[in-house]
Amino acid sequence: MIDFSLSDEQRQFQALARDFAKDVIMPVASKHDQEESFPHEVIAKAHELGLLNVIIPEKAGGLGLGMLDEVIIGEELAYGCMGIYSILMASELGITPILVGGSEEQQKRFLAPLLEKPSLAAFALSEPDNGSDAAAMKTRASFEGDEIILNGNKMWITNGGLAEVTVVFASTDPSLKHKGTVAVVVPKDTPGFSYQKIHHKMGQRAAHTAELIFDNVRVPKSNMLGGLGDGFKIAMKTLDKTRIPVAAGSVGLARRALDEAKNYAAERKAFGKSINSFQALQFKMADMKIGIETARLQTLYAAWLVDTGQAHSEASSIAKCYASDMAFDAANETIQIHGGYGYVGEYPVEKLLRDIKLNQIYEGTNEIQRVVIAKHVIDS
Amino acid sequence: MKIACIIKQVPDAEARIKAAGGAVDLEGVTFVIDGMDEYGVEQALRLREGGLDAEIFVLALGPKRFEEAIRTALAMGADRAIHLEGDMALDPISQAKILAQVIQKEGAELVFVGGKEADWDSAALGAALAEALGWAFSDWTTEMGVEGSSLTLTHDTDDGSETLSFNLPAVISTQQGLNEPRYPTLPNIMKAKRKPVDKVNLSELASAGKTQVLKQEIQSKERRHTILTGDAQEAASKLVQLLRQEAKVI
Amino acid sequence: MILVVAEQQAGNLRKSSYELLSAAQNLSQNLSLPVAALVIGGASSEQAAKTLSQHVVTVYHVTSTDLENFRSDSHTSIVSQIAKDKGASIILLSASRAGLAYAPRVAMRLDAPLLEDVTGLNVQDGKISATRLSYLSRVTETVEALSLPVVISVKPNIFPVFEGQVAGTVENVEVALSNTDLRVKVGQKSSAATGRVALEEASIVVTGGRGVGSAEGFAKLVEPLADSLNAGVGATRAVVDAGWRPYAEQVGQTGKSVAPNLYVALAVSGAVQHLSGMNRSKHIVAINKDADAPIFKVCDYGIVGDVNEVVPALRSALAALD
Repeated sequence: MIDFSLSDEQRQFQALARDFAKDVIMPVASKHDQEESFPHEVIAKAHELGLLNVIIPEKAGGLGLGMLDEVIIGEELAYGCMGIYSILMASELGITPILVGGSEEQQKRFLAPLLEKPSLAAFALSEPDNGSDAAAMKTRASFEGDEIILNGNKMWITNGGLAEVTVVFASTDPSLKHKGTVAVVVPKDTPGFSYQKIHHKMGQRAAHTAELIFDNVRVPKSNMLGGLGDGFKIAMKTLDKTRIPVAAGSVGLARRALDEAKNYAAERKAFGKSINSFQALQFKMADMKIGIETARLQTLYAAWLVDTGQAHSEASSIAKCYASDMAFDAANETIQIHGGYGYVGEYPVEKLLRDIKLNQIYEGTNEIQRVVIAKHVIDS
Repeated sequence: MKIACIIKQVPDAEARIKAAGGAVDLEGVTFVIDGMDEYGVEQALRLREGGLDAEIFVLALGPKRFEEAIRTALAMGADRAIHLEGDMALDPISQAKILAQVIQKEGAELVFVGGKEADWDSAALGAALAEALGWAFSDWTTEMGVEGSSLTLTHDTDDGSETLSFNLPAVISTQQGLNEPRYPTLPNIMKAKRKPVDKVNLSELASAGKTQVLKQEIQSKERRHTILTGDAQEAASKLVQLLRQEAKVI
Repeated sequence: MILVVAEQQAGNLRKSSYELLSAAQNLSQNLSLPVAALVIGGASSEQAAKTLSQHVVTVYHVTSTDLENFRSDSHTSIVSQIAKDKGASIILLSASRAGLAYAPRVAMRLDAPLLEDVTGLNVQDGKISATRLSYLSRVTETVEALSLPVVISVKPNIFPVFEGQVAGTVENVEVALSNTDLRVKVGQKSSAATGRVALEEASIVVTGGRGVGSAEGFAKLVEPLADSLNAGVGATRAVVDAGWRPYAEQVGQTGKSVAPNLYVALAVSGAVQHLSGMNRSKHIVAINKDADAPIFKVCDYGIVGDVNEVVPALRSALAALD
């Protein structure tokens, strides 16, 4: 049976997230983008309303929302600002490996405190010298008594250093490849753990991105998720899920691009009529609409697979890849429709293009997504 | 004490309203809880948070789609709801008679009503309800305090504002400025699912209305749309000339 | 009989009272019903009653020191009582804030239909219907009263001012007020009065929006222009929310609803909620530097420009007129 209707609750989540985007995110989005500043006030309000860390399970005191809930909310938040949405999304990304690989005790220990005040989680996999080739990680983990010692650097970590908990992926022995990997939870103020904020990003400038430095960082062994050799698996299982909120954000951003295009095309006149009477522009908007609707369907489908416990790796790769490419085109065409005004900061559309570029890169580049999809095609 | 909050679900202010065949066509329109009603729900919650021992219920009279507004009010923090459900369009006077019966049966002592309905542009329900109940009434209320059974309020008048004081039971109609309604939080949205909503079939309570809407059409007024150009001085001179000679208003 | 409930303040009839007389006149001719008026108030209301008797044959006057303050309780009792005793089949009153507060109560007490905030009245086959606005003033609807008597509140500034003259009489009527009628204690009044004409009565209204910039901007731009036009001052919701002007000056859905001869919108963007309070204005002037502002869609005359430049220019052009 196919049912496209949202539950009453989901409609309320959507309405809340929409209001939040309009009232709380949009008024400050441009300021934080320009100043490259962290929107503490938005995160505090998100926490107050329960929009932050929504996937923390009920057993750990959270709401335990599903992936469908998360993507419905995510689309609305990203409509307001993709960069600010990335902060919330990256926190869910940091929580996910603890859900995927952590015991109930670990979930309670690491996640319950995140609910008490506006707190973030982070996911640290990429390194300065490798991104997509996750198995080649250079960060080292070694065991000493009841402790794990971490050494190395992680790169491009959203919420990196601000997060209360960071899940760090490391290798005990590179010659073991995947089998030598571990996933370790590192609390914020652990000695030897520091970060360097990355400046001058092209877009998503409200989101805090950092390089993390681990210099003999010691944490108890009980902070390890799963066992020795589970690190890579946990990371991949996590990304199979969390690509879907990236797709949802892309849909939200594309919807914003279309709304901006629609409004501008209705007001702007050329040759004595509104420019929305020209078919060249109508077709651009129609193509955007086609992209938004199809990407949303794929996103919801992938989320439904997750929530119903079915295989979702291919579907989530398709959603992420298609939605972010689609949204990049939508942002690009919106600038074209705006002409010169689209190229300057007075209208929000140039920001859309700068922001969406990252969606084609993070949580697995779109090239990696195609590799995943192709592998499914060939192997099936 | 029991507090009743009357709520309605109305088209979103941004929604495009259409009319067809002499009636408003609400197909495809997004609906929201009336913002003026939200002030009432918020005020009731604040009174309770301020120490008043109160049960807060929402009372809605209208079609099935009002359920969404009911859920919003429950998610804001109201305890339960009564939905007098039916499709008939009843005038505010007839509505007030029905609502008054329910309020009396429930034993509420304080009722909040939105100051002006965003669909019918009517401010009549609060006053009519006060009359049907025989209770004191404050309209366009911007401030209120409760001390025992006595109320002190500030409300807007034709000439500005004034303070009022009277005793419960009372009907209070809201005005912008009374408070800043909260968002229903995600946890509260989830909790609201378990709050009771009593359904009552409106047709069992309603009698014939006292007025009948014969026709609705989109309000339009021909405008000149003359945009004056030139520098400020030039445009201003043209405007003054047009206002005097063409519009003859100055 | 058609009963017109006049509004007065400090002995002066409000303009709406004359508009009610015009509305009553039309109904009276159509239905062959006589018109009587009712004045309610404290000691000074006698003057208003006298003035009114120059326009209406019968003026009922209810006065008492308890009536110095308007209370919807006491007004409801008095109007209902007079309507019953004198056999009124139509009760006309102003859709002012006060009128909106007691009209529904009179209707309830008389078990009568209410036609609220009407902009026009029609009689067909002895049936009374009215036009009014709904859906944030985006819809005009025609509503029929299904029985008589009927209570009708009439939107201010829509009907013309009645100019007929007669030699009428004032009849003082006693109405006993109960404790319930006086249960509401009226305390401190804070008047928005600025020496300017009241918003609803003004034939010209000058409104400032967020684009005026500040409370000082109002003092520098909006108020002087209002004064040179002898106009009332209005404000948008954003402005009153920002605390630049009192709520009493707000024009829009939750504020005042106005329909002046001339409405001048300075740096007003024109949100639906604002338009609903002013889109019945006879002429609308919009001055805004944003050419895409929705206010231009409803204007008769528009200037795309900075109010800081246009308003001073406008004032000097106005000064040059006289």
